Parts: sequence; structure tokens; C-alpha cells
Amino acid sequence: MTATLSPPSGASAPPTRRARVLPAPVTGQELVLVGVIAVIWTGLALATPAFLTGGSIRPLLVATAPIALVGVGMTIVIITGGIDVSVGGAIMVCSVLTAKQLVADTGLVPAVLLSVAVGGVLGLVNGVLIAYGRVHAIIITFGTANLFLFLGLQLFGSATVNGIPQTFGIFGRGAAGQTLGVPNAFLLTALITAAAWWYLRHTAGGRHFYAIGGDPHAARLAGVRVQRRVLLAYLVTGLLVGLASCFVIAQGTSTLDQSVGTGKELAVIAAVVIGGTSIMGGRGSVLGTFLGALLVQSVTSGVTQLGWRSQLSDLFVGIFIIVAVGTDLLRERTRRNR
Amino acid sequence: MTTTAPPPPAAAPEREKSEGAGAKVLRALLTQRIALLAVLVVVVVVWFFVLDAGGYLTAAYDFDYMSASLINAVPLAMLGLAELLVILSGRGGIDLSVGAIVSLAGMVFGFAYGQWGWSLPAAILLTAAFGALCGALNGFLVAYVGFPALIATLATFYAFKSLAIVVNNQSPISTPPIQQLFSITSSVELPLFGQYVPDVPLGLFTFLLPTALVVWLLLARTTYGRRLYAVGTNDVAGRWSGIPVRGTRFKAYVYAGLISGLVAVVTVAQFASARPDAGVSGNGMALPAITIAVLGGVAITGGIGRVAGVVLATLLVVWLNAGILLAFVGNEGSQYQLLALGSVLIFAALLNGLTTRRYGGTR
Repeated sequence: MTATLSPPSGASAPPTRRARVLPAPVTGQELVLVGVIAVIWTGLALATPAFLTGGSIRPLLVATAPIALVGVGMTIVIITGGIDVSVGGAIMVCSVLTAKQLVADTGLVPAVLLSVAVGGVLGLVNGVLIAYGRVHAIIITFGTANLFLFLGLQLFGSATVNGIPQTFGIFGRGAAGQTLGVPNAFLLTALITAAAWWYLRHTAGGRHFYAIGGDPHAARLAGVRVQRRVLLAYLVTGLLVGLASCFVIAQGTSTLDQSVGTGKELAVIAAVVIGGTSIMGGRGSVLGTFLGALLVQSVTSGVTQLGWRSQLSDLFVGIFIIVAVGTDLLRERTRRNR
Repeated sequence: MTTTAPPPPAAAPEREKSEGAGAKVLRALLTQRIALLAVLVVVVVVWFFVLDAGGYLTAAYDFDYMSASLINAVPLAMLGLAELLVILSGRGGIDLSVGAIVSLAGMVFGFAYGQWGWSLPAAILLTAAFGALCGALNGFLVAYVGFPALIATLATFYAFKSLAIVVNNQSPISTPPIQQLFSITSSVELPLFGQYVPDVPLGLFTFLLPTALVVWLLLARTTYGRRLYAVGTNDVAGRWSGIPVRGTRFKAYVYAGLISGLVAVVTVAQFASARPDAGVSGNGMALPAITIAVLGGVAITGGIGRVAGVVLATLLVVWLNAGILLAFVGNEGSQYQLLALGSVLIFAALLNGLTTRRYGGTR
């Protein structure tokens, strides 16, 4: 759009001005995140030499995968100006249903498809209510969070799911779950993140999400089918929740208990906002979310590695949220004052 | 607020004239949240009385049971009022950290009353002040630094939750003075006409009623209350009319923290122990509190909401939950409570949307 606004001759304006239609491929916040992660990893490596070994890094990457994967969907949702606090409940529903199917000797592919389909249905419920009910997303998803929790607990039937076979070993921590030494769950997450990054940045459909987050009314006038797009954002989140649930099952032991999914919604939102996505909508990237999830998980596993109380990691997560969003606010303020 | 509203467009009175009695009742129910909630409370209570009479419940659902279940209303309604203040302040105001403040302030109360041997009033004062301090951190981040409330309180939720668990090595404080505190949650016979009505939980009078009264006075009878509604409705307009927008918003979070501190005392007494995860275990306390506020007609966009709505919504949820507990065996009941809470919230929210389109908003 700026291209049409700049002088047509382009002689006076430096050519770099035209390239600034999109934000930079990697924003400052993301570079800072990479730096912070590097510092944390270096610090941990110095403190506990065992940290920089595959046996320590691989579980970290596997644990990052579900949060980062759901984070892709959550980023799209938050870019449209919404939020989804029901993903914790949705993870519970998908994982208990799928785990029960695994116990009944369902194969890998049908089980994954089932989980993704169930997640998609749950996401669809959110999307329809939010897009067509014209109610603020946080209220609807608080409501559906309760409904999903009910559904999940009913499926559990007040007992844990035991004896889950190693069907999902391909997503797990073991040797079966690796390609060239990198966990498959993490590879798949990285691939999906890359695809989503390209889609959001370089296609018209992707830009529509940003337009809706910036100003839904203006987006409608510009020809964006706002309701369909909003519906799609929650649907995608649901589908990714389904896939992430498979990772969650694969990470665990052979049992699944009622605490699965608890607090995941806040962990995902934390990863998204640490990654520099604006909660007001209209700005953000899935790359940042990916790094945010990696940072949160690095802190969590770092605290454990150092032998501190594991609950202390929440304090660091809180501080990181404040620092990440705070610097973003400051940058925004200086940009406006200039 | 209705008095200051501009006169309705010319077409409106004609439509009202042509409305029948049924349409008028429907309109009143849809546009006045208090009326709708009152009707729903009556429906729920009558429904469970009928179920009880038909012998479908595992125990008697009578006035004694309803009165005893009110002890659950105390923390719920108080946190609902805290959310009312914060959501009213507008610009996406919300407080996810109330449950974590309850945990942390509860530990402070545990230390002061259970270990340092402070007197009860002093310990309560310290806990309330500490809650207010936690709220002040939220308020500072939101009102002065400009954080979106959702993010600031998400961060402090994590921080307070973590501190509450770490501060006493993950173990609860339940020394003898704390255990004896359980007596303040017991039911008492009311003076004068006590023998004619069921005994009422003491916490209702010592904590909930004073809080509700003070919040109501604050909102309806003070300059601060008017300012809070003004800031929540439109903070730019508020600034241009000379209202200290930041200070007003800041105080809303401080008051919410203060109320959370008081809830911490109630919770410690209820459990007879200062538990480090009191406010965040399971689903936590913040989500139900926000649900109560929204159900009570508080607009998430700010500037609209009343104390009576929050109190009625609490009664509805508490008596519904109490009935559900009797209607199912074992922990099925607690699961169906989730279903009920979720359905009621979505129903109320969709109704709000419908009302806005049909009649131009709830009151």
C-alpha cells in the first residue's frame, strides 16, 4: 500500500522505503528473544555441564512442541483481536478420547486423525459462537472452557486411562521419536510454524487476519469476510490442539490423569505475548510465539536442572512477560514520540 | 444512567405503544439483567424444590440447606465484586491474578496469625493491606505503564502463584490458632427472629455483606464511583472532563487486591489451614469470579455493571451448584457444575448480544 503512496518516480525516496510494506521478516523482539535464549542456555551450560547434551536438550524440545503448536493457532486468534482460554479444556478432551482409542488398539494414523477431528469440532464450536454470536471471545471461551472440562472429566469417568501402548512413540522422547537426532514432535511443530509464518505474511488470506485485528469494521468495508475469517482462526486453533494432544500423550508415561491440559491455556498465551504479539490484535508473528514457547520451556527446565524448586519457574515466566511486553510498550512509545 | 441517556428516536415510542403485555415482560427481562437473574434464581429454587418433593435428590433441598450453602457464596461473590470494579474501569480491564493473590495473602495471614502470634484484627489488617499492595502492582502496570490488563495480571498471576508456593516450602500452615479459626465459618442463629429462619453462615455477615455494602456505596454514592463509570465508558472523554483517569483506574485494581486479601482470610478459615495453592488449585478462583461478574451483567468493555447483578448472579450459581450436588451421586455432581456454569455463561453472553441488537443494550 505504501508503494502507491510513495512518489511514482522513486528518485527522491531511497529504494529501501518500498520494501517496508511488511514488517521486517525477523523483528527486534524476536532477535532479543534469540539472544535471551542463548544467554540462558549458555548460563545453564556453565552451571551444569550436562545441560548441552542431547539427553537434556531433546526433552526440552519435546516439551516445547505442544505449547508452540497450539501457540500458532493462538497467535492467529490473538492477531484477529480475540483470545481462546478454552485450549486447556480442549487438550483434555482430545487427549483422553485419543488415549482411550489407543488403549483399544487403534493405529497411529486413525488416532491422530481422530484427535485432530475432535479438536476441530471443539474449535468450530468456539468459532461459530464468537463469529456469529457477536460476543467477546474471552467470555465465550471461558464458557466453553467449562463445557470442555466437563466433557473431559466425563470421558475420564473418574479414573485414569492406564496401559496406553507406545503407538505414539514416533512423537515421544525415545529413540523412535527422532529424525537425525531431532525429536519429530519438534520438527513437525517447526514445519507448521514455518508454513503459518509464510501464510500469515505473504498471502492475502493471511493479511486478512491482521486487517481484522487492526479494525474489523474497516476490514469488512475493504471486502474481508470477517466472520468466516474469525471462524477459521478458532477452527485452526482447534485442529492444532488436536495434534498437540497427540504430542502430550506421547510425552507421558503409559497413564493419563485428569490434570492433563490444566493451565495450558495460560502457558500458551504467555508464549504468545512474550513472542511480541499484541493482545490488542493486528500485530504479531508465529515465529515470536515459537521462540516464546522455547524460552518459557528453557526457563522451566533450567530451574529444574539447577535444582531449584520447580514452582519458581512460574515467577520467572511472570517476570519475562512483564519485561517482554514492557520493552515492547516502551519501543512503541518512543516510536510515537519521534 | 437512564436519565442522562439521549431521548429515544421518534420511532421508538410508537413501537412501545403497539407492544402487548407479553412483549413488555420479555423486553423487561431482556434489558434488565437484575430482573432476569431474579426470575432465574426463583426458577432454579422452585425446580429443585419440585425435584426434592419428587424424591429425585439424594438429600433434602430445603431452606436450611440453601442457607448453609451460602458459605460458598462468600469468596465467590467477593471476588466477583473485585472483578466488577476492575472490569468497570474499562480498556479491557480484567484481573486474572485474584486467585493467586488469595493464595499469597493467605500465606501472609498464616504467618502473621498462625506463626508470629499477631492478634486477629492486626493479622486481618496486614492481609488486606498486603492484598492491596499486590493489587497496586497490577494497577501500576495497567494504569501508569500502560500494560493491557490481561497481560499484566497474567504475569502477576504466575508470579504470586509461584511465590505463594515457594514462601513456605510448599507446605500449608495449620497451627492451632488457624485451626480454631474454622469457627468463623460456622452457622449462627440470627438474633431477634432467629428461631423462625434457618441458621446463616457467620462469614456472610462478617465479610460478604460489609464488602458488598462498601462497594455499593463506593460505586453509587461517591465521586470515585461516578468517575470509575466515566473512565470505563470512555476514558478519552473522561480525561477531557478533568478526571484523573490513571489514578481512578489504579485504585480499581488496588480495591480488587484489597478484597482478594479479605477473601484470603475467609479461605484460610474455611480450610482451617493456610494452603499455598488455595486460590489457584484446579480451575482457580479467577475464572469463576469473572464468570460471576459477566453473568451479573458487567460489560467486559467497561462502564456497565452493578453490585446487585453480581450478588444475584452469585446466588443463582451457588444455589444451582448446591442443587446439582444433590442431584448426582459422587463427584459427578462437581462435573455437572462445570456444565451448568459454562452453559449459563454462554447463554447470558449470547442473550447480551441479542439484547444489544434488538433493544440497544442491557441496563
